[in-house]
Amino acid sequence: MIAYLVTIAILVCVAALVGLALNLQWGQAGLVNFGVVGFVAIGAYATALLAPHLGWFPAMLIAGAVSAALSAGLALLSIRLEENYLAIVTIGFGEVVRLAILNEGWLTYGALGVADIPRPFAALGQMIGGDTVFIAFALALVAVVFVLLEAMARSPFGRVLRAIRDDATVTSALGKNVFALRVRAFAVGGAVMGTAGALHAFYLTYIDPSQFTPIVTAYAFMAVIAGGRGSNVGLLIGACSIMALLEGTRFLKDFVTVIDGVQLSALRLGLIGAGIVLLLILRPQGLAPESKRRAADLLPDDKASA
Amino acid sequence: MTDNSFVVNRRTVLAGVGSLPLVAALGKPAIAQGAAGDVPLGMVLPFSGATGSYGPAMKQAAELVISKVNGAGGILGGRQVKLFIEDSETSATASVAASKKLLEVNKVELVGGFWGSPEALAAKPIILAANKVQMLSCAANAVTEGDTKGLIYRLQAKSSQWGPAGAKVMDKIGAKKVTVLAQQNPFIVAMVEPFKEEMKKIGGEVLDIVMYNPDQASYRAEVEKAFGPEPDAVFVLPLLTDMVSISKEIFRGGFNSKVVSLGTGADAEGKFLQAVGPEVAEGIYHLQPAPPIDSPSYARFVKDMGAPEGAVFLFAGNAWDQMCITVLAMEHAKTQEAAVWTKSIREVCNPPGEAVDDIVEALKMVREGKSINFNGAGCTCDFDEKGDSLNRSFYVQLIKDGKNTPFGVVS
Repeated sequence: MIAYLVTIAILVCVAALVGLALNLQWGQAGLVNFGVVGFVAIGAYATALLAPHLGWFPAMLIAGAVSAALSAGLALLSIRLEENYLAIVTIGFGEVVRLAILNEGWLTYGALGVADIPRPFAALGQMIGGDTVFIAFALALVAVVFVLLEAMARSPFGRVLRAIRDDATVTSALGKNVFALRVRAFAVGGAVMGTAGALHAFYLTYIDPSQFTPIVTAYAFMAVIAGGRGSNVGLLIGACSIMALLEGTRFLKDFVTVIDGVQLSALRLGLIGAGIVLLLILRPQGLAPESKRRAADLLPDDKASA
Repeated sequence: MTDNSFVVNRRTVLAGVGSLPLVAALGKPAIAQGAAGDVPLGMVLPFSGATGSYGPAMKQAAELVISKVNGAGGILGGRQVKLFIEDSETSATASVAASKKLLEVNKVELVGGFWGSPEALAAKPIILAANKVQMLSCAANAVTEGDTKGLIYRLQAKSSQWGPAGAKVMDKIGAKKVTVLAQQNPFIVAMVEPFKEEMKKIGGEVLDIVMYNPDQASYRAEVEKAFGPEPDAVFVLPLLTDMVSISKEIFRGGFNSKVVSLGTGADAEGKFLQAVGPEVAEGIYHLQPAPPIDSPSYARFVKDMGAPEGAVFLFAGNAWDQMCITVLAMEHAKTQEAAVWTKSIREVCNPPGEAVDDIVEALKMVREGKSINFNGAGCTCDFDEKGDSLNRSFYVQLIKDGKNTPFGVVS
């Protein structure tokens, strides 16, 4: 049972990284990115192809960098588009990446996928056994990314991103370069998504194009919405809840014997949907919404604002 | 920072959401052990996603075996076999979580099923790490390559066996100039090169290879490209959903080239004919690894599955065999320990030994200490040292007047 929970925890870590990135792009900066899965796939493939030659750490760094560079490139091309149009461009990007991976066999091994991806600390992991080392690595990675992104959210950069999200025109009028800031937010998000892809590749040790379907993007949005848009803590709770829903429903059929497994697997996806609808009805602001920051919080000595 | 109503609200909702997995967790210990002494087996089958249509028949077949075995008194001195089935969602990631659940929560000795190669490849390392047996119904060569610890068995033909078989069908129908129309998927991609080589050997020529992506909205461009050069025949390598669209596109285009396809798409245990109707399906040849069509136990199996006489069950037959082989090997090794009974698999499956195809009968013979050679519903169940099945012959059918009619056997 514990090993199963560890597997789930690792999958939550991957989902949490993707979610954190989306939370920066969409939650904090207000940039809709429906091509999340494309960036994750790029990270995963860069890692899978480079790790056997360069070692896992440089491969992971390059995965993040490649994903960030492509994010920035896509942002430069499309970010002046209004919200809905940006969504369409990013959907297109996600599909392009998937099709490129599937069809450019000389680089990605096409539909056959890449097997035998080396894991970080593989020797140590073998010695201790199980996924103990890997879960520690995954949790550490999430912790580092969380701390960095949380620091970023509290920094002036984070503040100005939220300002852009709430009203880009006003922010622009205050002398901020909205365009450059948006590109930067997109690039940082891309880097984190690439890292998430690396973690995914390390864990599964085998990747193929069928793992990078738009459902990954959908789960990331669910996690952000469930947790509360803009809140990193909320995101972590959201990612856990979504995974609990996804995996928890697996156990239903071990209890409910009236319904047969085939029907239940269809019902299961329905239940997940119903769970999310319920969550949105009962708690539209998310499980742990972004706290409202007031001027008084930033300027504690300023009595006049109280 | 927050007012009171917020705090109350959050608790209520958190409690609600939090209780979901908790409810599941509470009952787990009871499930893990099952009723005292049950032998747990697991399967990962597709019930949702692109290949979801193949799962239900496999489940039905596996459960048939289990109920027969349990009905005849179980194995290992009267212990019942308990089968746990998980949905692979046609996704490698979901298949890893599902396999892990089966291994760790249900403590299964076998993780079988595995319709798709990506699912099997992703689950392979964790099943091997747990020292349990993995049985496959998928074709990608890579699964049985590398170190398998002698724990992996494939009930299906390998991709590299499907390709040459296709070329032999081309030879039989007199097609020399052919094109290939193939889906980008690991099972299929791996058969294209062996097909080309075999075509060269028999003096044929492959004019063009057209690949398409799964889940396309339309296949018109690809179909026109493949049929455009007016080849003698087109080797169409699909799965069910895309073959349904492609065959309609071929019908609409009115092309004269013959169509040779795979049982995975143009039969799919009868689902293809149900989906497109007789007119569209007319004249399509399809091949799949041959089940022992003439054996009485196969006829019984088809009847048990509630299918018309002569139906060819490719994947359901595999699921059936996976269960049979597992319980036989356990009975032979007198233990449920996977690392031990895996060594018995060739003992009960490969010749020499008395040929037997009824599972209850076979179990009885194993108990009496007789040497047996089990033949299954999907194949003869003989394995080489890598765990791939031996003596694969392919059964070719031609769709005529809305029916699959036997055309021949190639090997």
